[in-house]
Formats: sequence, structure tokens, C-alpha cells
Amino acid sequence: MPREADISVNERAFIQQALHENIRLDGRAFDAFRPLDLIFGDEYGVADVKLGKTRVIARISVDVTVPAPERKFDGVFQIVTEFSPMASPAFEIGRPTDAEVILSRILEKAIRRSNALDTESLCIIAGLKCFALRADVHIIDHDGGLIDASCIAVMAALQHFRRPDVLVEGEKARILSVREREPIPLSILHQPLCVSFSYFEEGEVFLVDANLAEEQVRQGEIIVTMNRHGEVCQVAKYGGATMDPLALLNCTNVALQKVKDMSKFIQRKLEEDAKKRDAGGLMAELSAENAR
Amino acid sequence: MAPETELSNLHRADGSATYTHHGYSIIGAVNGPIEVPRRDELPEEATIEVNVRPAAGVGSPKDRQLETLVHNTLRSIILTRSIPRTLVQITLQIRSLPEEAASTGVNPSIAILPHLLHTSLLALLSASIPLSTILTSVLVAIPAAHTQPSTPLLSPTANDLVRAKSIKSVHVFAFSGDKKLLLNESDGVFSYEEWEEACEMAEEACCREKGGVGLAEGMDVDGQSRNLEEWLREVVKEKVAYEQRWKTAT
Repeated sequence: MPREADISVNERAFIQQALHENIRLDGRAFDAFRPLDLIFGDEYGVADVKLGKTRVIARISVDVTVPAPERKFDGVFQIVTEFSPMASPAFEIGRPTDAEVILSRILEKAIRRSNALDTESLCIIAGLKCFALRADVHIIDHDGGLIDASCIAVMAALQHFRRPDVLVEGEKARILSVREREPIPLSILHQPLCVSFSYFEEGEVFLVDANLAEEQVRQGEIIVTMNRHGEVCQVAKYGGATMDPLALLNCTNVALQKVKDMSKFIQRKLEEDAKKRDAGGLMAELSAENAR
Repeated sequence: MAPETELSNLHRADGSATYTHHGYSIIGAVNGPIEVPRRDELPEEATIEVNVRPAAGVGSPKDRQLETLVHNTLRSIILTRSIPRTLVQITLQIRSLPEEAASTGVNPSIAILPHLLHTSLLALLSASIPLSTILTSVLVAIPAAHTQPSTPLLSPTANDLVRAKSIKSVHVFAFSGDKKLLLNESDGVFSYEEWEEACEMAEEACCREKGGVGLAEGMDVDGQSRNLEEWLREVVKEKVAYEQRWKTAT
């Protein structure tokens, strides 16, 4: 497999010089995201996120399995990220690159370990049956910012997904099809979103949402995951260069603002989609969701 | 209904196509000719690599079988000898399947095969990989004899297959631009006569020229009368017209 083409010395110097003069290559402000677009599929639980030229599709699917013996009351939830040569010829199937390992680790920490999804609600019969939820992340186009885009895609898809209802009678459980009972949304406890900062010039310059060229030039990156209530879920730092602890505090402040904007954006798109599906105005009557 | 397509819609890949037909939606990307790993290098021709990625879950032996079928078909139309010691990498990402796909009772990998072939061809065209000819492909389903419409169903939707209840056999045919049979994949029980009838029908839909004697239904209302080859030419013509718009505008 060919290696990812390294950025040339000239390009590198050009980007650094421009940053020194407070200019980004695409003319964005240092703390600005690229234009974000989110489209939901016809089925439940498919989110197609475009962040500039980067494009990620997340798909949620559900299955019924036996829960792990040490966690009898919990359902199974896993996030699968596998890069394909579609995003870049340097990605090979079955041989994960560093970027792929970091992406899956961050998503694991940000979404799964922060308990964004209430896995107990996926339990059908304790110790016998539970739902196994699976989030497949497909990288369609790669222009940097994969972590931010994937996190938005998975969270949006989870909020969009509806799981089939079940009818439990003693030891027997029956999955009700879409025709029998309207599927119900997952119980999402909070919505963590990732904001990645790339730093340059020994931590003097911080960029939000770097594109691929900027990612190749940076000295290091910090990924802050927060929800819109301002709770930090995880902070990860990659790259060798040192950074000022006070700058980290500043990063979390910037991240909070970005996360609030993105949450609002996802919410608006979800509402638009719900309105489109609720054509006859029957959704409220069909819903089998219990009030909390 | 003709398939919906969008060509060269990805930024990173050398060529790409998004294809939607009857609820099947597939994104195809082609990188090539690129550097080939030493172990796959062929001294006198290009190596072709096909990856089929399912919408949900990891790839199974079914996907491997589809990869082999697509690989062998494409190898016969790509001019591999004109780009020796290189790699042409084709990735087909299935984005969505029709809702009823699981309940049709026909082999799902056969039902999706024509769509995969069309997507990969469009992506190859968009990447400007040297090809000796084009290909068109279609699915023909033969319902069991006791059901009412015993005529073969041409390019049926998943819904059609569910409604036909019992399907005796399904066939996929692919034809090259010079009307030669490139690929045939059949599943089920069928006689030679039935196969021949299906083959005739597929050839008609793919590449039979209109205007000959005895083809009265040529004047259909919608685009139904167009054969697949004409559809393909139309798609490529639109793309070329779009790319040449700087020239035509002046």
C-alpha cells in the first residue's frame, strides 16, 4: 500500500509562515469550524456528516444477544471504526493505522465510557437477553478532523435511532416489528462532543478543527470532549511538544462554546427530520415511549 | 426507472460515484493507477483490488464472494496490460439496502450484484482508468410456475419480489458494450429454455438496439424504453458536459 504523501517542505513553511501572520490557509478564524452539514438517512439511525471536505457516515444497528455474565443488567454497545481505502489509499483493510487506533480509542472514551448511552435500558431479561447496539463509522472522505466529525455522526445517529419494542412474558420475549408497535428512541443521558485543538509554535497558536494539511504540520493536538452542560468527559493530548496548563483551561472554554453550538445544530436537524417523518401528525399517538 | 447517479463526488479518491436504484444505495471509489505492494505486483499487467464493505457489521464470506465476482468481471474490461505494475483499487461501500431486502427470499448477494457492477464501472469512468469496453448488468427473476404472472420479472424491486411470493430462480447477466455476455450468475432451479428466455430479456434491457422490426413497444411514456447502455451514455455525457462548461460558456 502506498504511504500517505508527506507534506512538502515548502508547503510546511508556507503554512507556518501564514500562521505566524495570523492567517489560516482557508481564511477561517483560528477558533472556527468548517461548515458543518448533517443529513439523516431514510432509515432510523443513519447520520451523514460533512465537515468541510471530510465526510463520515455513522449507522446504528441492533441485534439481540446474551449479556456478559458479569454485567447481567447491561446491554451491549460497541463502536466500530474501520478505515477503508475510499478515504485514502494509505488505509489498508485489516491493518489499522495509528489514526484509526486513536479514533476508536477516543470515541470509546468519549461516548461509551462517559455513559452517554444508558446501557441498562437495553436489557430485556436480566442475564438472558439484551439488545446489542452497534455503531459503524464509515469514513467516506478524509480531509482532517475525523475525530470531531465521527463523534458528531455517532451522537446524531444515536439520537436519531429507534429500537424495536419488546413484549416480555415471563421467560419469553418477543420483538415487536415496526408494523406492530412504533419503535422507541434510545435513552441518551448526555451528549458528549469532541473538539480537537492543534497547536503550533510551542503552544503559542491553537487551531480548532485543523484540515489535513494543518494536521500534518502541527506539533501536537489536544482533544477535549464535553457536553453542553460544560462537563468535561475526557481530555487527550497527542504529540510530543509541551503545552502550558493555563492554555488547557482556555481550550475547555472555547470547546464549551463550540459544543453548545454543535448541540444546537444537531437538535435543530433532528427536529426538522422528525417534522418530515411526522407527516400525518400521528407520531404522538403511535409513540410507545413512557414519560420519564 | 433509471438509476440515480452522482459522479466524482468525493474529493480524496481519484474517481468516485454514488449510485441509487430501487432502494440500493452504494458509494464507489477508485484509486488508480497507484503504487502496488511488492507481493501483489504483476510484471505485465495492473493488479485490481476490490473491496466490498457492508452497511453494518464486518465483511463476511458473502462479501468476499461478491468481491471475487466483481474483480473477475472488471478484469476483463480494464486494459490492465496498458498500465503494468500498478494497482487499481476499487472500494464499494454499501450505504443502504431496501427495507424488504431481507424478506424477499432470494439470495441477497445476487440481488445486489448488478448495482455493484454499475457503481464500480461509473467510478472507473470517473477515475479515467483505461477500459476496453463498458458493461451493463441486470437482474432477472423467474417466479414459480403456479403463481399468476409466470413471465420473468426484469430488474424487480425488493417489493416486487416480496409480492411475487415464490421465486424459482434469479439470474444476473452482464453484457459488454459489444453485446457479449460478460457475466452470468444464477441461483435456483431452472431449465435451459427458461435461462435462455431470461438471457434474451436481459440482453434487450441492457444493450439491444431499438428501431428494428417487431419492436413495437419502443415508444413508452417515461424513460422505461431506454436501455441501460443508453442510460450509461447519458450519465457520462452529462458529466463531460459539466466538466466542459468553462469551454462552452465562452
